[in-house]
Amino acid sequence: MAKRGLRWYGPLAPWILLAPTLLGLIVFRIVPIGGSLYLSFTDWNLLRNPEFVGLENYKEAFADPAFLQVVENTLFFSLIYVVGVMVLGLALAVLVNRKMRGSNFFRACYYLPVVTSAVAVGIVWSWMLSPRYGAINLLLEALGIKPPYWLGDPAWALPTVAFIQVWKMAGYYMMIFLAGLQDIPLSVKEAAIVDGANPRQTFFRVTLPMLSPTTFFVFTVALIDSFKNFELIYAMTRGGPQNATNTLVYDVYLNAFVHYRMGYSSAVAYILMAIVGFATLLNFYVKKHWVRTQY
Amino acid sequence: MRNGKMPFLALLMIVFATVGAAAEDVTLQWWSWDVELKAQNEAIIQKFQAANPGVKVELSTMSTSEYWTKIRLLANQKKLPDVFEMSSGYIEEWAKEKLLLDLGPYIEKSFDKNDYYMSVFDAGKEIAGTGKYVAVPFALVTTVLFYNMDMFDKAGLAYPTDKWTWEDFRTAAKKLTVDTNKDGNTDQWGFWFYGRYAHVEPWVFANDGDLIDRTTMAYKPDAKAIEAMRFLTDLVLKDKSAPSKMAMSAYRQQDIFPQGVSAMWVDGSWNIDNNRTVADKKMRWGIAEIPAGPSGNRKYVNGWPDYFAISPFTKNADAAWKFAKFISGEGLDMKMYMAGKIPTYKSLTESPAFMDKGLMPANKDLLIKQAAKTFKTSYTLGWSEWRGYGAAENLGFNGVIDGIIDGAMSFDEGMKTADKNVNKILQRYYK
Amino acid sequence: MKRALRILCYGLLILSAFAMAFPFIWMLLNSFNSESNIFKSPPSLLPDLLGTSRMWENYATVLREFHFARYSLNSLVISGLSALGQVVTCSLAGFVFALMKFRGKNLIFSAILLTMMVPVQVTIIPEFFVMMKLGWLDSYLPLIVPSVLVGSFGTFMFKEFYENIPPSLADAGIIDGAGPFTMYAKIYLPQSASQAATLFIIAFMNSWNDLLRPMLYISGDKLQTVTMALTQFQSQYSAKWNLLLAGSVLGVLPLLLMYVFLQRYIIESTVSSGIKG
Repeated sequence: MAKRGLRWYGPLAPWILLAPTLLGLIVFRIVPIGGSLYLSFTDWNLLRNPEFVGLENYKEAFADPAFLQVVENTLFFSLIYVVGVMVLGLALAVLVNRKMRGSNFFRACYYLPVVTSAVAVGIVWSWMLSPRYGAINLLLEALGIKPPYWLGDPAWALPTVAFIQVWKMAGYYMMIFLAGLQDIPLSVKEAAIVDGANPRQTFFRVTLPMLSPTTFFVFTVALIDSFKNFELIYAMTRGGPQNATNTLVYDVYLNAFVHYRMGYSSAVAYILMAIVGFATLLNFYVKKHWVRTQY
Repeated sequence: MRNGKMPFLALLMIVFATVGAAAEDVTLQWWSWDVELKAQNEAIIQKFQAANPGVKVELSTMSTSEYWTKIRLLANQKKLPDVFEMSSGYIEEWAKEKLLLDLGPYIEKSFDKNDYYMSVFDAGKEIAGTGKYVAVPFALVTTVLFYNMDMFDKAGLAYPTDKWTWEDFRTAAKKLTVDTNKDGNTDQWGFWFYGRYAHVEPWVFANDGDLIDRTTMAYKPDAKAIEAMRFLTDLVLKDKSAPSKMAMSAYRQQDIFPQGVSAMWVDGSWNIDNNRTVADKKMRWGIAEIPAGPSGNRKYVNGWPDYFAISPFTKNADAAWKFAKFISGEGLDMKMYMAGKIPTYKSLTESPAFMDKGLMPANKDLLIKQAAKTFKTSYTLGWSEWRGYGAAENLGFNGVIDGIIDGAMSFDEGMKTADKNVNKILQRYYK
Repeated sequence: MKRALRILCYGLLILSAFAMAFPFIWMLLNSFNSESNIFKSPPSLLPDLLGTSRMWENYATVLREFHFARYSLNSLVISGLSALGQVVTCSLAGFVFALMKFRGKNLIFSAILLTMMVPVQVTIIPEFFVMMKLGWLDSYLPLIVPSVLVGSFGTFMFKEFYENIPPSLADAGIIDGAGPFTMYAKIYLPQSASQAATLFIIAFMNSWNDLLRPMLYISGDKLQTVTMALTQFQSQYSAKWNLLLAGSVLGVLPLLLMYVFLQRYIIESTVSSGIKG
């Protein structure tokens, strides 16, 4: 960067230009995050003023088997989501990366669910999975397989919703992987082939390692996104059956805007944030062990 | 025109106009969750405004889930609508937080008790639990047994009567469960239910049981209540005359009976309206009393009022009271009521129009008979949370019953879980 | 061998495309079904109203009973303004972080990145009260302003991009006597048209599909968004799949069209934005 920096902008310039961002950061991020922390130590039902209760909300959460179930659901959902979108996203990117006709059409197809609202996705899938009249069940029954109650059975509901979220978002990660794949110089791959590597070896020993910065990026984003399942759950199962699809983001909504327990809900939200933060930090820490930077 | 007089006259006119306008300037806010009655409610407003020049009313209608969140946020700001709909499920909490105007003085002074069913007012006072009248009940709802006459005819069964016992019901349900197209799957269920309050409580009270111990405010179903719940779950698990909840997940719950998927159904009387819409002329159906259980004395009915409350922060209490009185009977005709709700205004209920001649059910006067009984409900503070109501329907006590009939837990496990979970919640509200 | 691989790849591509697109095709087809036909078992493959005079019946009902034109307009305005605002704010912030030096720069940037991790559920309750105090309830403002002012991903993306532009561009501007704003608006911003388009689409999409904020901030019919309307639709019509699906098609259409027209910008810019950590 030009060392003569100060000559083209005065000392106030950065602050003026950054003003909207700073305003947003303070008013819509830092203040609410602090406010939430304060609320998490209170009991507040909106009809009267907040009452300070110390760590009661947190104690209640960790002692409640239903809450622990919610945490388990959240982690399970994230696992399915992250693994699912990474594998599927990479697979689609690899497939689409070849020079062939219609690749733009295919890319558009895969991105279609990404741009659709989760509510519309939820509506269509709920219908396709409904017992008796849903397209999926009719197909399975025609093949002689007895389908489970995808959304009504507590054992199947969470994996089903997670799968639909993967289906919806895979295209997004495909795009990122695609960019990463296209950044790998052809010369490296060609060198490997000259050395006698077959396609599988090329892929696993050459492509994948060179892709690792992209993979890291995808993993980071997927991890954070894996917790964002409120809209789909709201549209499909509302946390049911019997808590089976209740994840932390949905539980926050439920406690705040259905049970009107603002304080407890804020505590749950903070626990959620702690989990996301921990997972992300862990990811960054582990980065140096598996991400090879190019060249 | 002399220069002096004109300005003075003009000034006088302006003063009068302003004073007159100030006296006229009352706008009332009215909030309701009856989305289906929006047009009728607007018509009521027109009627009221015509009879009360100087008062304007603005109506806001929204679905129940939005309604409660938003109105609670308004309460927090001390900015409630002048007149707003209130339910029995929440009235205790709102009354105890002093968010409903005490209507005692108005009821004593500008109210003719003979025009209304005061028993409903007293039931409302009791549910609210503060010893005061805090809202005007405009309608009573009860729970009834809906039955499909065509299916009964086809099975050669006599229609339910008010002498029916649980055994009569059970036998009928079995006979009405049919695989119409012989493909191995039941297409017509004799009965159907899930953990919903309006599906379970009627049976508990029909057996003279209770879910809540009102002296300790704890969840403590007595033997009669447990008998009722076991009876219901056996219909699904043993008799197979009612489906699991999972099997019915494709439908909106209130459409299952009128679409002809089940021969019988127990739910609130207000469903008469939806039944008429969905079933149209495609089936003949009627209503009956909930069959009495082995311990039942046919004394109790699961019924409760819906109310209009007035904001304690209103600046126009008199006008609001006038309007509340108007919309709870005085200003209405039967067309403006949701079919299946019983007006608390005597002349409406006792008018021939109440019977809805020509429409189903033919015996709507059953509702009036029910209105004369003693009302019982399971409402408490925090009811929607422990009971599992509305958006929380998959959880709470509702979720436990669902779990039992879906086979996720045994009856005894369910009862234990319910005891633990419900009491944990109740203890928070009734320390 | 190579041929077989090609055929396999094509096969998988088509299968995946089918899996992705099938629900939408099915949704579209069945939106032309009459109510009785929807519940036929086994279902008819071809909708019964398609090609008949009653073909658009479901859509007509939906448009009449649900003011979809109004909702679409609302969503369009809200999402458009949000996305536009976010592009401006993020490009500006990215520019500042990439090219300027000032005290606390790293701290602020880290704060922006960290808060990207915070789920909206953590901040929504206090945010609601801020909106209430500002008197912004029941207006477009709570739906636009937060997204305009807070764009962690966008800031990050623009910063990366601007950092990777050779400094000769800046030097040329300095020689021409450009001040900070000119440098941004006339020199750097035009370089990042692709990134701007990408961010616009992402921000537009997020705003359009947002459920939590419209649910909390909007009452009444006038300002309703399409996504909100779809959920109300569910409670009203959940048995009438034919109407529900027609409504969903209407809800999806605007975004779809926008994507179709702008898709090559996404591809171009995702490729060129520096993703390598």
